[in-house]
Amino acid sequence: MKRTFFASAAIVAVLASAIFAFGDIARPKPTPKALLYSGLTISTDSKASEARLVISQYTLKNLQDAAARNNDNETLSQRIMHSSSRTMMAGVFMFLAISFAGIWFARSHPNRKTKAIVAVVLAAVAFGIGTIMVRANAGPPGYIRWQNLPQSLKDGKETSGGVSIEVVPGDDNMKLILPMRKSGGSGEE
Amino acid sequence: MDTFDLSIAPSPLVALPHGRAADARRETRVSPRIFAATVISAGLISAALASWLPLQMSIVTVFLFAGPHNWFEARYFLMRLPARFGRSRNFFMLAFGGIGVLTAAYISLPALYYANIWSGANWPNAIAIWNTAMLLWIGALVVMRGKQKANRDWFWVLPVIFVLCSLNWAAPELFSLAFVYVHPLIALWFFDRHLRRTKPEWLRIYQRCLMFLPLLAAAMLWQLSRTQPLADDNGLFWRITQHAGAELLPNVSSHMLVSMHVFLEMLHYGVWIFALPLIGASGAIWQVKSIPLAKHSRGFPKLMAAILLCGLFAVALLWFGFSVNYTLTRDIYFTIAMAHVLAEAPFLLRMI
Repeated sequence: MKRTFFASAAIVAVLASAIFAFGDIARPKPTPKALLYSGLTISTDSKASEARLVISQYTLKNLQDAAARNNDNETLSQRIMHSSSRTMMAGVFMFLAISFAGIWFARSHPNRKTKAIVAVVLAAVAFGIGTIMVRANAGPPGYIRWQNLPQSLKDGKETSGGVSIEVVPGDDNMKLILPMRKSGGSGEE
Repeated sequence: MDTFDLSIAPSPLVALPHGRAADARRETRVSPRIFAATVISAGLISAALASWLPLQMSIVTVFLFAGPHNWFEARYFLMRLPARFGRSRNFFMLAFGGIGVLTAAYISLPALYYANIWSGANWPNAIAIWNTAMLLWIGALVVMRGKQKANRDWFWVLPVIFVLCSLNWAAPELFSLAFVYVHPLIALWFFDRHLRRTKPEWLRIYQRCLMFLPLLAAAMLWQLSRTQPLADDNGLFWRITQHAGAELLPNVSSHMLVSMHVFLEMLHYGVWIFALPLIGASGAIWQVKSIPLAKHSRGFPKLMAAILLCGLFAVALLWFGFSVNYTLTRDIYFTIAMAHVLAEAPFLLRMI
């Protein structure tokens, strides 16, 4: 009992320190907020006289919905229904799935209780690592897809990659910023 | 008037006493080889037609078979409904309650959307909530059914249900799309369960034929994956491609998606309208007395006959609607038809 109490107190203390640690982070400067992540294809047309920006209906609808979600005047229901809530719900159900799987395993194989606990912990760790990878955007960085753009433009070929759509204040022209790296160099352009 | 014997067909095996049914089984004329050839031929023809003319076949099959297959399903469900619920009362209460509430909620979703009561931004969340309710309802039915079966522990279904809930919240629209593609396959499971009872000599060959299905699907995917997208330049074609997931999977050929969906739908309709009645799973089609609830001394023969007649009227109404405004009727049909999709869950569980 005493050991449990001290263990619980230690866990609470660690959690409390995390709250203080987050609380100590300086407020970031306001930056343009990405509304939507989509795909972009750059191609050339020798017969065209004007540059054209072609947006699919689906992307436009998503953009409109994302803009609606980003609205400061959004309703309470809209705030609750934000996609981060969906991620949270997915996590809650995954937690329930692992918990119930552990209960089922322990019930159906009572003499292998230890193995069941290990299996559940391993599964939880695997999902945790997966979540961290997703949150950290693990995988090849986006700029790699744009590296061949100059050559593709010369050759008249298409180049596709991911793009974050941002909305900034003002009435400037639309601007496309591509993440190009100098070949052989380490710095950004 | 208590009897509603409208029979124009000979009584199938299900309507016969057990001993006579067994005799009739032994007298089966069709050999398993012919049965297998029929199943494979039907699959091949369906795949070829769905691949060749996906939009046209989608229009024609839904027009011809959507209503009748619902009628056959309703007939089948009435056939499987016990005259007295007994210890299954709670199971059926939950089943019917769930079907009613979930169908009403499903119908109200587009109604609320088109009435501008909520914005499209919340649409995925609404879908996710509905899917979660459906999955939890199925989970509850499985647990209740598992308790009725001795020596069976179906607790493992709960973690599976929660995993599905999690996937649903991660991508609600894709989850719903997966449901669109999985639902037609449930009919094949029903057919499997009925073959066990009525034609066990066909069961093994049928299960071997089922192994042919993924190969057929893979061949279709391989053949159609690089085809040009279908022309969805009118409202109807756009709805069909959207239903098959073209909007959600923009990098996948809409030709392939629609073909696969139509192929699965054709199998689904084929099982409910032709295969199951042919092995006697739906009872003598016009014979109301083959339904336990009508046959029982304290049953409801008039009500059963009225339900079947109303069903026929609904089928005729659907055909009329398709003739007048196909696009609108199709939209309405696929929304209301969610009831029959949901109804398959409890009746399939009763078969397992």
